[in-house]
Amino acid sequence: MVSLSSEDDQARFASVVLPHLADAYALARWLTGDRADAEDVVQEACLRAFRGIGGFAGMNARAWLLTIVRHAAYTWLGKNRSASLLVVDDLEAVERQQASGASAFGQEPQTPEAALIAGADARRLEAAIAELPVPFRETLVLRDVQGLDYREIAEVTKVPIGTVMSRLARARRRLMQRIAEGEEKAGS
Amino acid sequence: MTTSTTDPRLLVHAYVDGELDPANALELERQLANDPALAAERERIEALRRTIAERLPREAAPVGLARRIEAAVGARPAPARIASHPSWRALAASVAVAAFLGSGATWLALSPAPADADMIVANHVRALMAPHPVDVDSSDRHTVKPWFSGRIPEAPRVVDLSNDGFALVGGRIDVIGRTPVPTLVYRVRQHLISVSALPAGRAAAMPAEQIAGYDVVSWTDDGVTYWAVSNVAAADLNAFVKAFRAATPEGATPNPSH
Repeated sequence: MVSLSSEDDQARFASVVLPHLADAYALARWLTGDRADAEDVVQEACLRAFRGIGGFAGMNARAWLLTIVRHAAYTWLGKNRSASLLVVDDLEAVERQQASGASAFGQEPQTPEAALIAGADARRLEAAIAELPVPFRETLVLRDVQGLDYREIAEVTKVPIGTVMSRLARARRRLMQRIAEGEEKAGS
Repeated sequence: MTTSTTDPRLLVHAYVDGELDPANALELERQLANDPALAAERERIEALRRTIAERLPREAAPVGLARRIEAAVGARPAPARIASHPSWRALAASVAVAAFLGSGATWLALSPAPADADMIVANHVRALMAPHPVDVDSSDRHTVKPWFSGRIPEAPRVVDLSNDGFALVGGRIDVIGRTPVPTLVYRVRQHLISVSALPAGRAAAMPAEQIAGYDVVSWTDDGVTYWAVSNVAAADLNAFVKAFRAATPEGATPNPSH
């Protein structure tokens, strides 16, 4: 049993969890899409982390905390936004079908020049990330916003490293297409 | 990632992320050279990564959040606890240190110039804040070493530690005092480790210490004093030092396969 008043646990919590609070909040915000909800999720996650701090064996503190935050965020999404938690297998099958359909008609989805991507508007980029399905969004955020490596992302999202790579590729591809579409609209 | 049969359009992401092992990275580089569409994809991925890193607004956690969480678990931030106990013991300790320092110039002469360690940390910090932590950006030691050879009298020992989990990022030349010093940079997870190589005559190795939150470890091998500095966990830094010292330098491969 963990004693809630243990000085040791409190010191461990302060050194293991608190330094990564900004990352925890950022992930929660990207997953829930809302600041107030993100605070609730992080607070819940931190309580869980505190209860589990005795079992933390000095591995990667950030990945450990983010795993707990993600779990808390999924619980929250399940309660409040169950539609956003589509089964990933379905999602990836749909994507594959769409991709093969497009190439069969000789219509590769449009891909913008690198320069266009480099000049993309921050607001539009943020909106495009927010539109990504959750599994792709979390993979992209963990990698390109928070800088975790594939192994850590695999640990946090509980999928094989190969899946991390393919989700990341899909997420980036979608963002590029969204940027291209946005430019087209803005230009016309 | 070791599957060479995987679609290069997928692998190019892992390549940009520095996640391919050397053999697959080499193979992909060959494909990049021959496939303009793939090369364009690489440029797009890099542009997207840069745009996200530079343009996407970052948001700090709300100020009240940390306090609410601390209150919820009854934890206080560690520094406050230390600061709230200015004790006679700390005062006595500082007097003792002053007495020790004042006891003779011999101690100072025998120990390394503390300024060296400070400058090594300063170089590391500056590199972390610069757009590129290295001047020569390559995970291939056969690229990094010749780069040094062209610039300073003695190129440092460059070892491949990727099997130990430390990827070579590249190298740069730091200046310690007035001496240009070769520095290698390795990466473990998201952290960088800088290793500077100084002639041993300049400063003796000293015990591990912490300067401004960075761990500094130094040791001497073959007439060269190495200084490693990083903000990785102390255990990781020690593992790095162990791997670095144990690694076979180039040219002395026990089993030359090519």
